[in-house]
Amino acid sequence: MSEFTDSDPAAPILRSRFQRPSWLSSALFAFFIGFFLWSLAGAGMSLPSLIRGLPNMATIAGEMFPPATDRAQPILEAILVTFQMALVGTVIGVVLSVPMALLAARNTSPHPLVRYVTRSVISFVRTVPDLAWALFFVVSVGLGPFAGTLTIIVDTIGFCGRFFAEAFEEVDPGASEALDSIGSRPVDRIAVALIPGALPSLINTSLFSLEKAVRSSVVLGLVGAGGIGAELAVSMEMFRYDQAAFIIFAIFILVFIVEHFSSRMRERLLQQIR
Amino acid sequence: MSQILQPVFQTDQVASATASASLQVDGLSKCFKGTESAVFRDISFDIKEGQSVALIGANGAGKSTLLRCCVRLIEPDSGSIRLSGEDLSGKSGRALKKARNRVGFVFQKHGLVPRLSALTNVLHGNLAHDFGPRNWSQRLASQENRQRALECLDQVGLADLAYQRCDQLSGGQSQRVAIARALMQEPSILFADEPTASLDPQSGEVVMELFARLSQSRNLTLFFVSHHVEHALHYADRILGLRSKQLQLDSASHSQSTTSLREFYV
Repeated sequence: MSEFTDSDPAAPILRSRFQRPSWLSSALFAFFIGFFLWSLAGAGMSLPSLIRGLPNMATIAGEMFPPATDRAQPILEAILVTFQMALVGTVIGVVLSVPMALLAARNTSPHPLVRYVTRSVISFVRTVPDLAWALFFVVSVGLGPFAGTLTIIVDTIGFCGRFFAEAFEEVDPGASEALDSIGSRPVDRIAVALIPGALPSLINTSLFSLEKAVRSSVVLGLVGAGGIGAELAVSMEMFRYDQAAFIIFAIFILVFIVEHFSSRMRERLLQQIR
Repeated sequence: MSQILQPVFQTDQVASATASASLQVDGLSKCFKGTESAVFRDISFDIKEGQSVALIGANGAGKSTLLRCCVRLIEPDSGSIRLSGEDLSGKSGRALKKARNRVGFVFQKHGLVPRLSALTNVLHGNLAHDFGPRNWSQRLASQENRQRALECLDQVGLADLAYQRCDQLSGGQSQRVAIARALMQEPSILFADEPTASLDPQSGEVVMELFARLSQSRNLTLFFVSHHVEHALHYADRILGLRSKQLQLDSASHSQSTTSLREFYV
C-alpha cells in the first residue's frame, strides 16, 4: 500500500517513462530518414555493383601475393623520405604552433582582436584539407617532398595551434598568478608556469600530430608532393598489384613503428620531466 | 563590546609607525564595477617593520580584496599606499612591479607548478628580481641561486624533499614550499591570504608556527588574513577587524579574546 494517495498534494510527481515526442522532433526525424535515403542514392550505394566488383577484388587481391620485392630499394627510399617529410614538417609545425597558440589562448593573448584573428587563421588552416594544401604547394614550389613538407607544417599548425591553445587555457592559473604578484615578466611566467603546466598535453598532441603527419604524408605523393604515395599510384596504374602490396606493407610497418614509438615516448617523457 | 564597535587605535603604534613603517595605508576605498555598494571605505592603518598583523572579518567582508589592494594587485578606487616609505599610488607597469618585488605573497592555494621539483619552484621566487632562463629551472640556475633556494627550503624544513615533484607533496608541505619561494625573494614584508584555509588543522598550525618563527628570526613584517580567531590571537601582535565596510578593530592581540573576535563573524 502506497504511503501517498493521488489526492495527497505532497505526493512526489513521477514522470511517465516515455513521453510523446513533440511534432517538431517527429518532423525532424522524418526529414532525417528521408534525407538519408536520398543520400544512399547520392553516395552511389549499389549492392549489384558491389557484387559485380567482388570477383575483381578477388583477382586484384590474388595478384597482390606474393608481394614483389624487385623495386624494394627505391620503395624503401621513398618510405624514408615520407617519414623525413613527416618528421621535419611536424617539428617545424609544432615549434610554430606554440607562439600561434599563445596568441590564440584566452589567458595569454595580448588583445581579444589578436586572439580572434589568430583563432580564425588556425581554423581556416585546419578546415582546408591537406590534399588541397598539397595541390597549392605543388603549384607554388614545384613537385617533390618540399611541397609535402610545407603541407605537413601547415596541417600541424592547424591541429596543434588549436589544441595547444586549449591546453594553455586549461592550465591552473594559480602558479601564474602567484608569480605575477611578485612582479615577474610575462615571458618568464609562460616559460615556468604555463608551458610546464600544459606540457603533458603538448607532448601528447605533438606525438599524435606526428602520427597524423606520417599517415597524411603517405597520400600526399598522390598529388605529386613527394613520398611513397607517388610510388603507390604508379604501381596501381601500371597494374603492378604485387608491387603495390609491398608498398602497402611497407606503409603499414612505418605507421606501426611510429605509433608504437610515439606511445612509448609519451609514457617516458611524461614521467621524466620535472 | 564597545572596544569592537568603535575602533580602538593604540596610540603607541600610531606614534611610532611613521618612523619605520613597512606599510602605510591611508583612506583606501574600493567598489567593484557593476556593484552599487563599496567593498570597504576609507581604510587607514600602518604596519610597523617586524610586526605581525592579522586581518579578520566574515566571508565577503573584503579582507582578501583589502590585502590585494595594498600592493595594487587589485586597483583601489582611492587612497594612498606606501610600501617601505615608497609611494605606490602613481606607479604603473614596470615601476609598480619593481616595487612589488620585496613583497612576498602566500595564497590560500599554494600556486606551485605541480610538475616541477620543490627546488625549481623555490627558485622561481628569484623572478621577482631577475629574469631569463637561469631562473626557469634548477638545472639552469647558478650555483649560488641553487644554494640559496636550498637554504630557503631548509628554513621551512623541507631541504630533504628538494628534488621531489610538487604534485607528490602534501597540502601542508606544498604551502611550506610556497613560503620558501616567497623567502627566495628576500621580502621585507610577507602577505598571506588565508594560508591555512585549505589545510587540515595540524598542518595549519605548522604553517602558522613557521610564519611566526620566520617573522621573528628575519624581522619580517607579516600581514595575514585568517578565519581562525585562534591563529590571529596566537600568532599576531596586532589584529585588524573588517566589518560593515570599515576597519572596526585595530588592537593589540593580547587585549582581545576569542569571544570578542567572534563578533566579527556574525
